[in-house]
Amino acid sequence: MNLPFSWLQFLRKRVARPASTGKSQRGIPVWSWFWYILGGLYFVLPLYATLDFSLRMKRDVISLEAYKSAFADPAFLQSFGYSIMLAAITIVVSIVLVVPTAYWIRLKLPEARRPVELITLLPFVVPAIILVFGLIRIYSSPVKLPFTSLVLLNSLTTSRYGTIILIVGGYTVLGLPYMYRSVDTGMRTVDVRTLTEAAQSLGANWYSIMMQIILPNVRAALLSGSLLTFAIVVGEVVLASYLGVPAFGPYLFLLGQHRAFEPAALTFITFLLTWAAMGIIQLITGGQGQGAGAH
Amino acid sequence: MAHLALINISKEFSGITAVRDFNLSVEKGEFVSFLGPSGCGKTTTLRMIAGFEIPTTGKVTIDDTDFTDKVPNQRNVGMVFQAYALFPNMTVAQNIGYGLRIRRESKAAIKKRVDEMLALIHLEQKGNSYPHQLSGGQQQRVALARALAIHPQVLLLDEPLSALDAKIRVSLRAEIRAIQRKLGITAIYVTHDQEEALSISDRIVVMYEGRIEQVGTPFEIYNFPQTAFVASFVGTLNTATAEVVDPVKHLLQIDGVQLQAAEGMDGMQKGDKVSIAIRPERFNFIAQERKANVLDCQIENITFLGSVVRIQLLIGSNHFYMDTFNNPFLELPKIGDKAQVTCSREAVLVLKA
Repeated sequence: MNLPFSWLQFLRKRVARPASTGKSQRGIPVWSWFWYILGGLYFVLPLYATLDFSLRMKRDVISLEAYKSAFADPAFLQSFGYSIMLAAITIVVSIVLVVPTAYWIRLKLPEARRPVELITLLPFVVPAIILVFGLIRIYSSPVKLPFTSLVLLNSLTTSRYGTIILIVGGYTVLGLPYMYRSVDTGMRTVDVRTLTEAAQSLGANWYSIMMQIILPNVRAALLSGSLLTFAIVVGEVVLASYLGVPAFGPYLFLLGQHRAFEPAALTFITFLLTWAAMGIIQLITGGQGQGAGAH
Repeated sequence: MAHLALINISKEFSGITAVRDFNLSVEKGEFVSFLGPSGCGKTTTLRMIAGFEIPTTGKVTIDDTDFTDKVPNQRNVGMVFQAYALFPNMTVAQNIGYGLRIRRESKAAIKKRVDEMLALIHLEQKGNSYPHQLSGGQQQRVALARALAIHPQVLLLDEPLSALDAKIRVSLRAEIRAIQRKLGITAIYVTHDQEEALSISDRIVVMYEGRIEQVGTPFEIYNFPQTAFVASFVGTLNTATAEVVDPVKHLLQIDGVQLQAAEGMDGMQKGDKVSIAIRPERFNFIAQERKANVLDCQIENITFLGSVVRIQLLIGSNHFYMDTFNNPFLELPKIGDKAQVTCSREAVLVLKA
């Protein structure tokens, strides 16, 4: 099961272990704790610094002033809501695209797995700026059938919905490495091939297999991939700026150029939202995480 | 009329023939095992019955209805997989009832059938458990119940015990056989374990390199193997190349030692080279004067195997094994001793090439 690492789970296990076995007999404690604490500080310190800074808007007083100020700006909720909408559409498009693809490759085309994995990794190699210029260049004017004047697709950059289609397409590409890997790993852990054959032998058709067997068993992987896609979309700046959409990324960027404390407050809030989402995933998939891999 | 018939089946994968000229008729209620080494085509044949593979040539019929090109979900065939293949998101009861749910049977009918199946596999208390809460043996029993719940015309079992430890394997195979007998269902069982096939089957189909080597009852397969492969694959066997001395009297010779067989030498000429086989347990030390099949030998090794003592003999230049029941009052020869052993004419099997 591909679950995000849980410090709480880890600490609970450590505390539950009897003291006599926790010493240097196994060579665990000193160095393990050292590296865990070092790693913890690496992640926690910047977050703490951001939180601390965001609470010091009023000189010499700890206050939530920066948070109040940030929430008072109607553009914040507007841009955040817009980004959540884009993230939701992107997640749906990604699932519709990735789940059947990964499933079919596992089932019928295992030889296509490597090439497809490589393709899904392209967003790591091709920067977002190249992607957005490519999208603008191709879709800012009507797309015609080669060597004819037949218009296949009108310009997408000039209409609101066209822009949403473009940016969702771009975000789907950016989220592909995370969504594909999550889903593919999820499918590997439940052996979709044998489960599919078992369901077929019991009379199930493709729709039943997908809805009743495959999707419920890769639920955790889907949620992980969706969370990562959500995080990418909400924080993304380049595509949103160049396509001129009122998303949260450009808003935060602009805010950071004019204000000091509010961006820190908003950054901390997005961290909290991300952690809340991870907590929800743990909560929802806890049972499945134990079950899927056990035999 | 055969209940299940495989007629001239062959299957090719990218030019490689996995199964060729496969013909088999299975009667209703029969338990037939496909036995052979890895890659012999037994699982491919089973998958063609299930519909997961379409034969390149030939046809599959059940009760005279041609199922060759039907997709798996249009065949009423239950299948049990090596890896259990229980749906992890469903409870035991939901797993067993899944096929009936797909068939849109009423909730009451599903519950009744699920309860029957749970009673059949003695897991009445586990209906609400999830697969990961069960042992391997219990999971496989649930998989069996799930396959049987849909009243399949044929039950297919693809090495269902391979993932289990030895003790559970033995008890579960007896349980599978008892359930199959009780329900009178036709079953096809794939295994590479000869002991499993011999103990569970009405008939065994021994396969090698995509072909049927021999079809017969466990008794026939073990005692009268028709080919060198069957002889070597099923049980321990002494094999040697012999020269035909007198085809009419069934006389053979190995390294100057004369042997007499009972049959299997039709059409052979004097001087022909043939393969012969003798089971270790068919040898005896000579207790009284005999004229035929007296073999001079030297004791090379003696191994204690519990209920059986295995003695390695050097006969001519051939190393043969002889098995004798362990008896604390038996006087065994010592290593290096010269001795004479014998076997009946029927014990000398002349193998087809």
